[in-house]
Amino acid sequence: MSWFLSWISGAILYAAPILFPTLGEAVEQRAGMVNLGLEGLMLLGASLGFAVSFGTKNPWLGVLAAAGAGLLANLIYAWLVVHRRAHQLAAGLALMFFGIGMSALIGKPYVGQMAPVLPKYAPTGPQSLLFRYDPLVYVAFLLAPLFWFLLFRTRFGLRLRAVGENPAIAYAAGVSPSLIRYIAAALAGTLAAVGGAHLSLGITGTWSEGMTAGRGFIAIALVIFSRWNPLRAIVGALIFGGAVVLQLQLQARGIGVSPFFLDMLPYVLTVLVLLVWGRGVRHVAPASLGRVYFGTE
Amino acid sequence: MKRAVLGLVVLVFGLVAAAEPCLIVGMIIGGTKDDAGYNQSQYEALMALKEKMPCVEILFAENVPAGEAEAVLESMILQGAKLLFPAGFAYMFPALNVAKRHPDVIFMHPGGYMLADNFGTYFSNVQFAYYLLGVAAGLMTKTNKLGFIGGMPTAFVLGNCNAFHLGARAVNPNVTTYFVVTGAWVDRAKEVAAAQALIQQGCDVIGSHLDSPIALAQTCCEAGVFYVGYPSLAVQKFCPEYWITGLGLSWGDFFVEVAQQVLAGTWKPEHVRRGLEAGFITLGEFGPKVPEEVKKVVLEFKEKLVSGELQPFAGPIRDQEGNVRIPEGTAWGPLDMGKFDWLAEGVVGSPK
Repeated sequence: MSWFLSWISGAILYAAPILFPTLGEAVEQRAGMVNLGLEGLMLLGASLGFAVSFGTKNPWLGVLAAAGAGLLANLIYAWLVVHRRAHQLAAGLALMFFGIGMSALIGKPYVGQMAPVLPKYAPTGPQSLLFRYDPLVYVAFLLAPLFWFLLFRTRFGLRLRAVGENPAIAYAAGVSPSLIRYIAAALAGTLAAVGGAHLSLGITGTWSEGMTAGRGFIAIALVIFSRWNPLRAIVGALIFGGAVVLQLQLQARGIGVSPFFLDMLPYVLTVLVLLVWGRGVRHVAPASLGRVYFGTE
Repeated sequence: MKRAVLGLVVLVFGLVAAAEPCLIVGMIIGGTKDDAGYNQSQYEALMALKEKMPCVEILFAENVPAGEAEAVLESMILQGAKLLFPAGFAYMFPALNVAKRHPDVIFMHPGGYMLADNFGTYFSNVQFAYYLLGVAAGLMTKTNKLGFIGGMPTAFVLGNCNAFHLGARAVNPNVTTYFVVTGAWVDRAKEVAAAQALIQQGCDVIGSHLDSPIALAQTCCEAGVFYVGYPSLAVQKFCPEYWITGLGLSWGDFFVEVAQQVLAGTWKPEHVRRGLEAGFITLGEFGPKVPEEVKKVVLEFKEKLVSGELQPFAGPIRDQEGNVRIPEGTAWGPLDMGKFDWLAEGVVGSPK
């Protein structure tokens, strides 16, 4: 039983840094934009957050700086795809490489350094020692229902989804697709960078180049897996976090499962989901996803 | 590929322009020089060479992907380098290609298995020294459970885990070692998760073979369990309190030896493998919580190891299934270390 609890506790911790970018990408894709640059945004957040925490001795300022940088960087992406009408996949990849390079540049002096990390808190209760997390973990899991509410229960969410389905009609209904897409991109950039900062300031307390190790891409897979629904994204992130922790715990118990196989799991799940739901009568993917909106004027 | 974007940061620590250097030495590494791990140990050796032979001029580039190694090495040769350290395993074939084109330039590659007329290799006998970390761990553990985190299940990693375990068993026959692989040489988040899994399992001393166990050290401090460090002693500053001791790759004196051989024209291509006795690897200082008796025993073992009296891989040694892998009366030496595809009896975990 204690084994099960420690697995759950680990799954929650490792779900958090992936849940942030997944939620952001879900919102962004609901607004009709595929952003392949998450990995770069996460890295940017991880390195800048660490650098600022190192410089100011305050991890919260680090998280804040990461959020701001992610927001700005993703606004560049939004500007490219909304105003410059660039191809979304190309713009996303450019953003990714920008983030990788920029994060390495920012992080260079901080390799092998120590910075103040986020404090850990536990809910009171018998298992409180096991479920001690930094506040960003709680934030991640609170944001999921909040984003679900935002997308599916508010006027803004309706407009955002309308832009993702058909920007021309949304425009005709008096919604500005550009504005909506900028807002969605700002949210997504912020969240992805905070997810990265959680890796460097919450989980590991270090910066190392490329430390996101593909989590930005797993997040994109999880968006499809969760069918653009923030609540299902929790499930996806927990499966991913659980797989990471499970394989290490199994190894520590002498049960050999290839780490490479389990690393593959989120992608296998995504492919399965696409197989099962992909041929459905009504595809849930936003109809205008990835399309350039040329305006209605 | 990722690092290609960053571009190459080539730092030239030149002498005063007027002074003609006696030898220009170049090094490339795959990571950053301050990683408190493998790359830092290579860089420190280069700096030691510079310090001991001030007439040498140093060319240095970090974050060089294997795909760009040839270009960087060529540019160093253009700048007059006559001795090159392509200091990463992945540079073996790119460096060999460059070596073929420049027979007048000497190449020294760490840990590889290829030789050419102007291409030699060097590495430390790490597994033998890792035995000492096992001895220390075996004496320090209260739960009799040790953890070992490997990046990839390669022969050298399995060898280090076996050495750690055998060293511990030599002083504490009740020890069980739990072996976990993260699947990457650097994935800090997974290293933390692996350490947490081992700590939950009851392990109270953790060894590792990663690029740099910084995150692992911090996790140990948080949980209050001990750890041993490898491959750089610099890692202890991340958790001095629970540091037992560690091993640092230390090639400074050897680099000087090679540079002098190159200058004298006596350099020969060979596989240079040396251990504690030659200073190729250094046992670190002990941490504040290590009792005097433990230090004494570890240092006794070290003496026997250096004198050759102690053979860490002397048979009979059985694997997890109980098969005899090293028969009685024989012992594995430095050149056998690439042959580990098994874990010793008493290690829990999979060698695959």
